[in-house]
Amino acid sequence: MTPPATTPANPFAGKQNRRALHEFLTRWLLRLGTFSLVIITLGILLHIAAKGVPVVFQPKWPYVNSKFLTALPATLHVIEDSKGHKIEVDANEADQVKAALNHNIRSETTISYSGGGILGPIVGTALLVVVSVGVALFLGVACAIYLSEYAKHGKFLEMVRLAILNLAGVPSVVFGLFGLGAFVLTAPTFVDVPADRSVFSIPFGFTTLSFEGWDTCVLSGGFTLAFVILPVIITASEQCLQAVPQGFRETSMALGATRWQTIRYSVLPFATPGILTSSILGIARAAGETAPIMFTAALAFKDKLPWQKDLPPLPEDASFFAHWEQSVARFFGIFTESVQALPYHIYTLAAKIPQNEYAERAQYGSVFVFLVLVASLAASSVMLRKRLRAKYRW
Amino acid sequence: MSADSTAQSTPPPVVQVRDMDFCYGTSNALFDINLKVEYHRVTALIGPSGCGKSTLLRCINRMNDRVPSARVTKGEVLVKGKNIHDADVDLTQLRKQVGMVFQKSNPFPKSIYENVAYGLRIHGEKNKSVLDEAVERSLTHAALWEELKDRLHANALALSGGQQQRVCIARAIATVPDVLLMDEPCSALDPISTLKIEELMHQLAKEFTVVIVTHNMQQAVRVSDYTAFLHLGKLVEFAPTEELFTNPREKLTESYLRGTFS
Repeated sequence: MTPPATTPANPFAGKQNRRALHEFLTRWLLRLGTFSLVIITLGILLHIAAKGVPVVFQPKWPYVNSKFLTALPATLHVIEDSKGHKIEVDANEADQVKAALNHNIRSETTISYSGGGILGPIVGTALLVVVSVGVALFLGVACAIYLSEYAKHGKFLEMVRLAILNLAGVPSVVFGLFGLGAFVLTAPTFVDVPADRSVFSIPFGFTTLSFEGWDTCVLSGGFTLAFVILPVIITASEQCLQAVPQGFRETSMALGATRWQTIRYSVLPFATPGILTSSILGIARAAGETAPIMFTAALAFKDKLPWQKDLPPLPEDASFFAHWEQSVARFFGIFTESVQALPYHIYTLAAKIPQNEYAERAQYGSVFVFLVLVASLAASSVMLRKRLRAKYRW
Repeated sequence: MSADSTAQSTPPPVVQVRDMDFCYGTSNALFDINLKVEYHRVTALIGPSGCGKSTLLRCINRMNDRVPSARVTKGEVLVKGKNIHDADVDLTQLRKQVGMVFQKSNPFPKSIYENVAYGLRIHGEKNKSVLDEAVERSLTHAALWEELKDRLHANALALSGGQQQRVCIARAIATVPDVLLMDEPCSALDPISTLKIEELMHQLAKEFTVVIVTHNMQQAVRVSDYTAFLHLGKLVEFAPTEELFTNPREKLTESYLRGTFS
């Protein structure tokens, strides 16, 4: 074998330089897109953390600004004395400070909602999330089970699916108005005397079922938010049910189980981790929506927690039963009272009051707490899912 | 005494299919099937793919009810002398007494114990000692008790494929069915596991009546007492296994057994 005298012309010649360039550009374009996404996300988070951490945390013990987390919002008074020192106090202490300064005051500014803390909005958002996720999981899982396990394929099923898709596309402010009409103004409730606005009422003698609405309250807001997150939960739950192997159902039926027994013991347990994952998405969405709760549950300002409802003071010798009744009424305030909510509070701080450094501080503090709250709610769902997955995996 | 002896010489068939037609929607899948399954015998259904042998098997415990538009259009299926399509037949009771093992071993991702006890639990059995006893008995029948008695609470998915399939058999026999339907129970298993299950079948036939669908003719010869050969939805020949394999009456059976078509 002698090597050929001349190297043969390259049989694989091509426009490789151009191709390489093309490949290089494509790769970098896609890479830049991905990176910019990460950078923007990090930018938002870091910016909020940088401005929010100083509001929520402090350099000395106990390191957390407990007042910001445990006090209700208040109007902030900034009083400047004759030497130019600025003193920041909440409305209830402003007179005291002014008296102490004995009229050596150069100026006084008041900034609405920026003093105190944000306990009210935190509690309100937590209650709204719990009610809405509870209602949406119940309705959503029921709907998903029906669609996946019971309904026959056909026109009706197609229509239901189309309706769910459409529900997902409805703007959130429309949900807000729907909630106003349906839950705040017309939902049925038991009363002694129906209000004038009652759509119609059914008297039972000892009480009356009146369609006069639940008023603006946690229940109205929670139900409205439930409809906002329902499509996500139905779709995800149905996918989780479909992912459970058909063999489990066949085996269970072949052993003589009824359809519901099959679902209860051989389908649902294995779909639960996935359903909980979908509820994480629901939680984040429900906590973040502003428009649906604007008309149904949220107030810009409220100086009471939902369980601190104003009730007529009881006489000295009031019976135990009367006290008990008042405690129960206060407790159910967590459903029947209107609340402040974090997203609406942030909106108020950002758009409804004159902007200055004090308002900004309250804004960033609230946003930071909001993010941490949503993240921790989601994290706890992830943990729960992980534990369930370890128990029921196939 | 004489009545007893005649009853023993010709016991009534546990499963009897009479002139049955079966349809999926508008297409006929089975035509005019007649089949008798005797107590404590292994009956094999063989035939080429798509001949309807699985469909026929699933007619016996009405598993085809799960398929919308699938139905028996003519004839009847009797189990223990009762037409199973009668309105007063409780499907859960029928399936409790006609157990089924599927092609793919599919234990629930639960403990071995819970898998075997599943059937009894859904039929309302709560007594722990009854369940314990049933689990032990079923696993013993499935030749698994010695292997698994120390790890009853381990996840059934941690077992080998052959063990999983035998857990499925134990699960199916825990409710003490009269008939055990097996739909190609060995097709996903290795030869050694297959052998174990085939050995098991002879044991099972002492307690139960077994109807097995298989695409493996040697398996039919090894395990069954009777064989039914199906082709294109028709039952071509039904005879004692030895007779069918050594001296088939039908040309079609003979050419299938010789491998002239498949």
